[in-house]
Amino acid sequence: MNEVRERTSLWAKAWYKFRRDRVGMAALGVVLVYLLVALGVWLGLWGQGWSQVDGPMWAPPGPDHWLGTNIIGQDIFERAVYSTRTAFEVGLVVAVLSTLLGGVLGALAGYFSNRWTDELILWLMGVLDAMPFFLFVAALAYALQGNPYAMHIAMIATFWTTTARLVRGEVIKLKNLEFVEAARAIGLPRRLIIFRHILPNTFHILLVQATIVFVSAIKSEVILSFLGLGVTDGVSWGLMIAESTQEVQAGHFSNFITASTFLFVLVMAFNLFADALQDALDPKQVSA
Amino acid sequence: MSEPLLRVERLSKYFPVRGGLFRRARGWLKAVDEVSFEVPRGHTFGLVGESGCGKSTLGRAILRLHEPTAGRVVLDGMDITALDPKALTAARRHMQIVFQDPYASLSPRRTVLQTLLEPMEVHRLGTPRSRRDKVVELLDIVGLGPEVLHRYPHEFSGGQRQRIGIARALTLEPKFIVADEAVSALDVSVQSQVLNLISRLQRELGISFLFISHDLAVVQHISHRVGVMYLGRLVEVAPAEDLYRDPRHPYTRALLSAVPVPEPGRRRRRIVLQGEVPSPLHPPSGCPFHTRCPEAEPECARIRPGLEPVHDGGAPHLVACLHR
Amino acid sequence: MTLSIQPDDTRSDPLLRVRDLTVAFDTDQGAVRAVDRVSFDLMPGETLGLVGESGCGKTVTSLALLGLIPSPPGRLLSGSIRLDGRELVGLPERDYRHLRGKAISMIFQEPMTALNPVLSIATQMTDVIVRHQGLSRRQARARAVEMLALVGIPSPEKRIDDYPHQMSGGMRQRVMIAMALSCEPKLLLADEPTTALDVTTQAQVLDEMARLQERFGTAMILVTHDLGVVAEVCRRAVVMYAGRVVEEGPVSCLFSRPRHPYTEGLLAAIPRIREEKLPELPTIPGSVPDLRHLPPGCRFADRCPRADARCREQEPELELRGDIAVACHHPNSHAECSR
Repeated sequence: MNEVRERTSLWAKAWYKFRRDRVGMAALGVVLVYLLVALGVWLGLWGQGWSQVDGPMWAPPGPDHWLGTNIIGQDIFERAVYSTRTAFEVGLVVAVLSTLLGGVLGALAGYFSNRWTDELILWLMGVLDAMPFFLFVAALAYALQGNPYAMHIAMIATFWTTTARLVRGEVIKLKNLEFVEAARAIGLPRRLIIFRHILPNTFHILLVQATIVFVSAIKSEVILSFLGLGVTDGVSWGLMIAESTQEVQAGHFSNFITASTFLFVLVMAFNLFADALQDALDPKQVSA
Repeated sequence: MSEPLLRVERLSKYFPVRGGLFRRARGWLKAVDEVSFEVPRGHTFGLVGESGCGKSTLGRAILRLHEPTAGRVVLDGMDITALDPKALTAARRHMQIVFQDPYASLSPRRTVLQTLLEPMEVHRLGTPRSRRDKVVELLDIVGLGPEVLHRYPHEFSGGQRQRIGIARALTLEPKFIVADEAVSALDVSVQSQVLNLISRLQRELGISFLFISHDLAVVQHISHRVGVMYLGRLVEVAPAEDLYRDPRHPYTRALLSAVPVPEPGRRRRRIVLQGEVPSPLHPPSGCPFHTRCPEAEPECARIRPGLEPVHDGGAPHLVACLHR
Repeated sequence: MTLSIQPDDTRSDPLLRVRDLTVAFDTDQGAVRAVDRVSFDLMPGETLGLVGESGCGKTVTSLALLGLIPSPPGRLLSGSIRLDGRELVGLPERDYRHLRGKAISMIFQEPMTALNPVLSIATQMTDVIVRHQGLSRRQARARAVEMLALVGIPSPEKRIDDYPHQMSGGMRQRVMIAMALSCEPKLLLADEPTTALDVTTQAQVLDEMARLQERFGTAMILVTHDLGVVAEVCRRAVVMYAGRVVEEGPVSCLFSRPRHPYTEGLLAAIPRIREEKLPELPTIPGSVPDLRHLPPGCRFADRCPRADARCREQEPELELRGDIAVACHHPNSHAECSR
């Protein structure tokens, strides 16, 4: 009578499935390499010379400067490495906070669907989605008068809506399931029903959304920096690309190619990782 | 005569049908319409009916999982329907529910231990130590061992999950449990195990059950008294043996004749009902069953019969029919 | 290796002959045999019940007959399915499509999801008829209305333009039956056709199906867990457990004198409306084994009151005893059925 089917938790199952996806594992490997680079910068191990002007302008790649220097004489390689930290910082902060915000607001909207809480949150989502993103960031940057986190705040304030929408839909489905009724029958207060029983069943959505937002944040930062609205106290690939527009016209490509390549590889790897993650978390898919 | 454990008085649950630009209530879906019955201590009241008759809604309305539109529910002398939210939460200790779908009735990301501890935590019963002991005791009562404590619902079969659901309902030592199609989703071989468990619980713990099911044979087996519902109303209420031996309402008779019996070659006279079940949005005038009743007369469309006793003596056999 | 099962009626050839059908599904923990060496026959016009509890393989068997095993993750490993002498295993999809709806039809359990919710009944029915019988749209519509009348739908010429959500469950199931029979197939597969319906509607629908079967001479395989339905409608039944056939024979014998302990236990455990109430229902202890971790020997051994060492080591094969076939080392011995 006590035979039990399997002893693995849901996460372990997902991990086993993920491990067999070679592309996903390779992509994860690449992402981890980048993460290590970013950590190293943060810990002061490398990339610290990103702002030093210690070389001739437009030096070609060589033993002193592995990828050459830019128009001011800064080492391109150092700058690219430092930008990894910037990218992760932007990506992680925006991904984590917007997912949290989207998850909570989405859950509240879903649980109280068709009541005023839901109407309010939906209205807010509608307003934020209607505004052109870059205008919003510009306005916010101006309003916050050079706060280095203006960009982060703007991204969080707009990226949470997609997550919220997805979570809301899932919560509407979940709240009619019997285990929620059971919680009510026991007398569990509403906030515990939402945060202890319903929200944890949306983690698979939240996780995948977080990875998508991570990539979106990094890509958005590139364009923002291009427009001069992005990173102000450091360097990022976006800034490097922005700088390089003039250099390219003069025939010096190293800056542009370096920044673009670093960016492209990370985004590509992260996308592949996110796809594999989604497949692994999908209970209906059986791995080959 | 001692006070019954549960008294339901003219309980109604209407759902507003909304329409128009501002979603105004345009009409009412009378899911449960003035239902009254009693359940003595330690007894099982079986509630049968087909889909859409309102039996599940009735079960939930009694527990105030749906707020009743009208009527009263008195549990052990306490008027449940009049309680304020705080008192209601406290009263939930005494009335619990077991659901139909074993796959949806347990929270997927909570272990068995967490699920069974939760009711005690909400009502602040016992100490952490005594609660854990109680959980092990409950699992034992339903036939599961302590090795299941740290496992998740997806690791169990349907029958095992249903047992866990029953254990959860027992945690607060309720006096009354609503079993809403509790065995309908189980295989036959498991169903009989769970039914025996429920009978045993009643005998040993004295819990009263409202056993809701569409399966007439199961209801006969487990109930002391049975009520038949049609379009939100009780049309016949009688002791289980009487109902099956001597059904008085034409709907009950048709229902019983339609049940397939696993005895090949046994000839049965099947009463075929005309037409389809009317929509609860537009119930027929007079007797709700008259549109399909093989014995309908003109007056049935005009007069709505109430539940009246059929004969004196013994437990009352009530029928809502003009020609009982 | 199984002995071939002789059909009751040796005068004519069986319409359907299934031998050693084996279907496996790939799961995270390896391949699982949902159907393992299943064999049975079906005569023309006969109604055969395919009975068992969840996980016994009855639905997969019926899907295999139609060539509808989802692949991946399913695979038809081996076996033979002969319809009217023609081998279906290995048939190219193109040829199978000619058969489906025309020679073999299927009705599913949930009429709401089996019917396309965005197409009218008229569209769905005429599609099938036009495709298989080559009639014009207009002729097909007339035929569809005819079929709807046959299954007892009132005002069929009006209701044919309805959408599935405008009809009740019982009506939708009748529409499914009408669609399935509109091309007068030789074989109808009905997978739990009345499980989702109320008892009174179920009775009506079963009656309709029996009448239509007689009229068109269609053989039917009724897949169900409900032994009451089998007793009413089927002439013969195949009892399955954990992917294997455990007992097979005429319903009249099977129910009154079951040979296999599982059949016996199942029949005893069904709650019935009785004169005298039983204090406790007989049960079969334990539960259906996990197909991924099957014990050696008989799959029913750990729940069987009669299991011995031999049962746990050696899997019993299906053997014919009179007109019932049983797969058991210690079957009940009964006198043969008189028919």
